[in-house]
Amino acid sequence: MQTWTEKYRPKKFEDLRGQDLAVKKIQDFLENFSNEKAKKKNAIILHGPPGTGKTTLAHIASIESNSEIFELNASDLRDKKRLDETLKPAIEQQSLFSSSKKKIILVDEVDGISGYEDRGGISELLDLISSTTYPIFITANDIWDKKFSSLRSKCEIVQLKEIEYKVVKDILIQILRKENAFIYNDILTSIAIKAKGDIRAAINDIQTISNNPSIANPRDIDERNKEVDIFSALKRVFKEKPSTEILSVYDSVNMQLDEILLWIEENIPKEYKHPKEIYRAYDYLSKADLFKGRIYKQQYWRFLVYENIFLSYGISSSKNSSVPRVGFTSYKRPTRILSIWMNNQKNLKKKTICSKYAKYVHIGEKRAMHEFPVIEKIINSNPAIKKELKLSDEEIAYLES
Amino acid sequence: MSSEIWTEKYRPQTFSEVVGQNDIVKRVESFVNSFNIPHILFAGPAGTGKSTLALVVVKQLFKNTWRDNYLELNASDERGIQIIREKVKNFARTKALGSVPFKVIFLDEADALTQEAQQALRRTMENYSGTCRFIMSCNYSSKIIDPIQSRCAIFRFKLLEKKDVDRVIRKIAEKENLSINDDAITAIYDGSEGDCRRCINILQSTASISPTITSDLVSTILASTKPKDIKIVLDYALAGDFEQARERLLDIMLKQSISGQDVIKSIQKEVWNLPVEPELKMKLIEKTGEIEFRITEGSDTFIQLQALLASFVLAGIGK
Repeated sequence: MQTWTEKYRPKKFEDLRGQDLAVKKIQDFLENFSNEKAKKKNAIILHGPPGTGKTTLAHIASIESNSEIFELNASDLRDKKRLDETLKPAIEQQSLFSSSKKKIILVDEVDGISGYEDRGGISELLDLISSTTYPIFITANDIWDKKFSSLRSKCEIVQLKEIEYKVVKDILIQILRKENAFIYNDILTSIAIKAKGDIRAAINDIQTISNNPSIANPRDIDERNKEVDIFSALKRVFKEKPSTEILSVYDSVNMQLDEILLWIEENIPKEYKHPKEIYRAYDYLSKADLFKGRIYKQQYWRFLVYENIFLSYGISSSKNSSVPRVGFTSYKRPTRILSIWMNNQKNLKKKTICSKYAKYVHIGEKRAMHEFPVIEKIINSNPAIKKELKLSDEEIAYLES
Repeated sequence: MSSEIWTEKYRPQTFSEVVGQNDIVKRVESFVNSFNIPHILFAGPAGTGKSTLALVVVKQLFKNTWRDNYLELNASDERGIQIIREKVKNFARTKALGSVPFKVIFLDEADALTQEAQQALRRTMENYSGTCRFIMSCNYSSKIIDPIQSRCAIFRFKLLEKKDVDRVIRKIAEKENLSINDDAITAIYDGSEGDCRRCINILQSTASISPTITSDLVSTILASTKPKDIKIVLDYALAGDFEQARERLLDIMLKQSISGQDVIKSIQKEVWNLPVEPELKMKLIEKTGEIEFRITEGSDTFIQLQALLASFVLAGIGK
């Protein structure tokens, strides 16, 4: 079965969507190339992220200019000798068969040329560009590497943008219509967004899904799994008897151990009610944090083993009886980090107020922060002071709240 | 322009207005009268007049042009010597305006600079000594490296005496039409730890409630500005309510932006006031020390403090 990306590859400039500017530049380039007077450059570089239509554009250019395409991959450009053998005849053919069809040379994925392995590759390409009688199309993902600087100066450069998700979605809908296939709208939207401008990836996605209707949206499933995993992991740690299997309980949780630590912190008091249990559980949590600190300070990652043991077996063994517990406990998402963040946001204003005040009365900002309770009262006591300090409306609002 | 912030409004503008530190004022004044000052180091506790005297010096030296010839930097804010150097360089590059042949840089809280930064500062002082004089202030001169000390005339400020503070407060009270009695002044002085700037701030925040200043009112204000004590948290923990204790602690730490180290310090002091047996007190102190140690080694202060609270919950059932 033909892949949809091949089947629906645009054949005309007008069919290619989302790259109007690039199309215009390519048409100008081809027009100028055939006109000796207007001709500026012999080659054009199409560069941009994967799946934005670079190779497709070169193929359309050959179709629309009624030319034959002569394609080279990075693998063909292994070295100077090889390139000579492959390319030169193609270019010089004209003298032998002058009646033959026009040609376009496509050097695909030029960033595959590496300095050492393809020694001479780039300089040979440069020679070609100066001697060619055919327009050369070059594609690349990233053209800004230093080794391409001389190449850049010899070529027209056209940048292809990531295709907007709305355009991507539109294209997907058209393909589905022609295929008589159906995908739910929100799934389609999420595929289009996830593709991040890579139309090829998006088309591959819808082909996969329409072949296997049981897969809804792979990304949705990912997200849902993550949540289920942490809840069931917590349940196992808190309810089950400690066992060596519990040591690997977090392996299937798609979350950093440091984040899991916060989940445990939040939920220990939800499950463990007896003071002894609380004491033991937080003591292990404290030790886990101790090793976490040592990992960061010493960059000694083996300590992660201990952090994991404290958080799994340690927390599990903190319960009073080793009998498994029954009953449902509703675990909560960690909230502390959020409240710290919100508090810091609030304190931003406090900081700017202190900074203004400190400058004004010749003291340090830190001291002003330290004495803020008194300073706040003074500033609030008299509107003239707020004016004097040139406090902003937001800062005044903060003081009055 | 006169300020409505009293610490500014009543800041002395001339040598004769400066309260206390009589010997220092006299010697500094004689420098200014000769239109030449050495590099100067003011050492002493907060609120004893170091910044004020520095400001008086430049105002008397440069008169109307003092703002053009004076740069004030606070070492505890300006992170890194690089910024200070940049600012000093830019400031010192142009010639002083007026009859005095140099400009003045006031480097406040200079003891906040690291040793390396001070070494670099010493070079800067030498390089620009032709065009700039430094006045530095610090709480402890021992934190200033010897080479800088040896380049400076050092003046040691003493804590203001009660009679000096008394004078300042009475003068302001009179100008602001406040009524105040001796008890209230004592309450302000005691609450300020001899810091004159704090005295004035306490006076102004009390006066914002009522023009009649009593010692009770001062105490209320002082209490409302002190960090809420950690005792409530410990009470909840001892009563076995871990979740409440945890929530209160987080609330206190966030709202009053207290560091974990400060919390641990006050917990350690509070243990002695708890209604538990001596043996248990020692156990709690030991645990507190252990947790303070873990804070220095660990990564998340609040996790460690929760573990400590859990120890108090456990102690609660044994009491």
